[in-house]
Amino acid sequence: MRSKRLSIILLLVVLIGVHIFLSRNMWQHRAEVRQTTKAGYVLPSKYSRVLAVGNKGLLADFLFLKTTTFYGERVVHKQNLSEEDWEYVLSGLESVTDLDPYFQDPYIFAEGILTWGVGKIDEANQFLKKGMKYRTHDWRLPYYLGFNHFYFKKDLPKGADYLMQASRLPNSPNFLPKLAARLGYYGDRAKTAILFLKGMILETQDEGVRKFLLKRQTALERASWIEEQIVKFKAEQFRPPANLGELVIFGYVDLFPEDPYGGQWMIMPNGRVFSTSKFVEPQRKKDQDTNPERKK
Amino acid sequence: MMKRISALALITYKEGIRNRSLFGILAFALFVLGLNIAVAGFFMREVGKVTVDMNLSALTFSGLLLVFFVALNLMAKDIDKKTIQLVFSKPISRAEYIIGKYLGIQVFILVSLSVLFTMSTATVFLVKNIYPGYFSGFSWSAFFIASFFVFLKLAVLSAILVFFSTITTSSFACLIFTVCVYLVGETLEDVIFYIKSGFRTEDISEALQGFIDIISYVFPNFSLFDFKLEAAHGLAVAPTRLGFGLFYGVLYIFIILSFACLFFQRREFH
Repeated sequence: MRSKRLSIILLLVVLIGVHIFLSRNMWQHRAEVRQTTKAGYVLPSKYSRVLAVGNKGLLADFLFLKTTTFYGERVVHKQNLSEEDWEYVLSGLESVTDLDPYFQDPYIFAEGILTWGVGKIDEANQFLKKGMKYRTHDWRLPYYLGFNHFYFKKDLPKGADYLMQASRLPNSPNFLPKLAARLGYYGDRAKTAILFLKGMILETQDEGVRKFLLKRQTALERASWIEEQIVKFKAEQFRPPANLGELVIFGYVDLFPEDPYGGQWMIMPNGRVFSTSKFVEPQRKKDQDTNPERKK
Repeated sequence: MMKRISALALITYKEGIRNRSLFGILAFALFVLGLNIAVAGFFMREVGKVTVDMNLSALTFSGLLLVFFVALNLMAKDIDKKTIQLVFSKPISRAEYIIGKYLGIQVFILVSLSVLFTMSTATVFLVKNIYPGYFSGFSWSAFFIASFFVFLKLAVLSAILVFFSTITTSSFACLIFTVCVYLVGETLEDVIFYIKSGFRTEDISEALQGFIDIISYVFPNFSLFDFKLEAAHGLAVAPTRLGFGLFYGVLYIFIILSFACLFFQRREFH
């Protein structure tokens, strides 16, 4: 009887050992599978809302978590998102915002991932406009729309309109009317962008996003400083500098500040200062170059 | 009459509370609420919305388990084990039996749901203290209203369960019918509005349209009791909507219980 019990315990120990070994391999295997698996299919909301049997909010939370995890995994493993992957992310966010159109996170997430270095500005704007229909009290959505029109679409009057809309909503920061006015009358891109970014940084609690925005703010501040030296050069020499080197030769600049993204400063044909890094990280730049939308 | 009904309701309630599956349901609710605390931090801003969604869904799902398993057992046991003959040997009418049983089930669900609701409120309170900056749109009153309507939905569903237990001979068939009505009731509104909307690609035949019209009157529309979205975002609910939901629910319970009494009068027990 005792030996029988002992043999069962021994067998259990062996089986548990095998199980732990297999489990460890299983998680490694799953991590590999998830990295190589193509994006799945998101059930359209007209069906999923029926299948949610009264728990549309919970299904929206789950789908949002799934979409953000999918995007996060691709980013963490430094994998470029294919068009199919983007399709999955977009349809996921579409379903989430259909199931719960008042849910703020998907709109903010869409603005964060679809704009910088990806160029899906129209898609991001569509999400923000959809959110504005429901979240009529939320100043952030017209604020981001204003920024997209100003920075990416270069449509300053429309950008100013959205900013004015945002400034009229409760709890909006008090610098918004000033920003809208600047946008409407001067369209000074670098300085206006810095003001926008300062507003975004104030709103951002996520350390990673905050770091990203601070870096961009530094880059824009430095570009703006060089532009100021060009304005001084023009005023005193009665001509624009042929290249940035002339600013050093004529004593306007001793040493150019470093581009935080590692690029070289250059004067664009329209006279603005930009960098060869295009203000994106090397990894994202590669992503941008392969993006057909940006090539246009 | 009231004395007999209340005595039967009390026995039914006590029997329900003694049911061991109650512990399993409570453990499930505890698990979901614990999960809520862990998962809330995964979201960017709307931690409050996610917390309310999870709590109300946990409350609804636990309530459904109470109806489908414990309430079903309370209703079917007397008939399955033939103890109903013993009950009818006492001076109690069949209608009194149905009403007494239903009220007992309601008290049992109300007490169980109150325990779950207290746990749920504690979870919301805890998460609100962990992430105080992310509950800007949260409203306790909207949360309480949504929880009350979860109870009303379960009250309607248990009336349906009582009705099916009067016309079926097996508790399994009663469970299947009640689950079917629940699924139809939950999806009815979306299906009807989808058919009426311009999204569909094919025309619906007149016969099907007529069938759906009949179904929309026969089956309860549970979407009327759904205030989860409003609770999640702290949105204001028009008093007329609350009144309409309450009146519709109470009226449906009265109608379905009247039918149950009617069918139970004619039922024979061998």
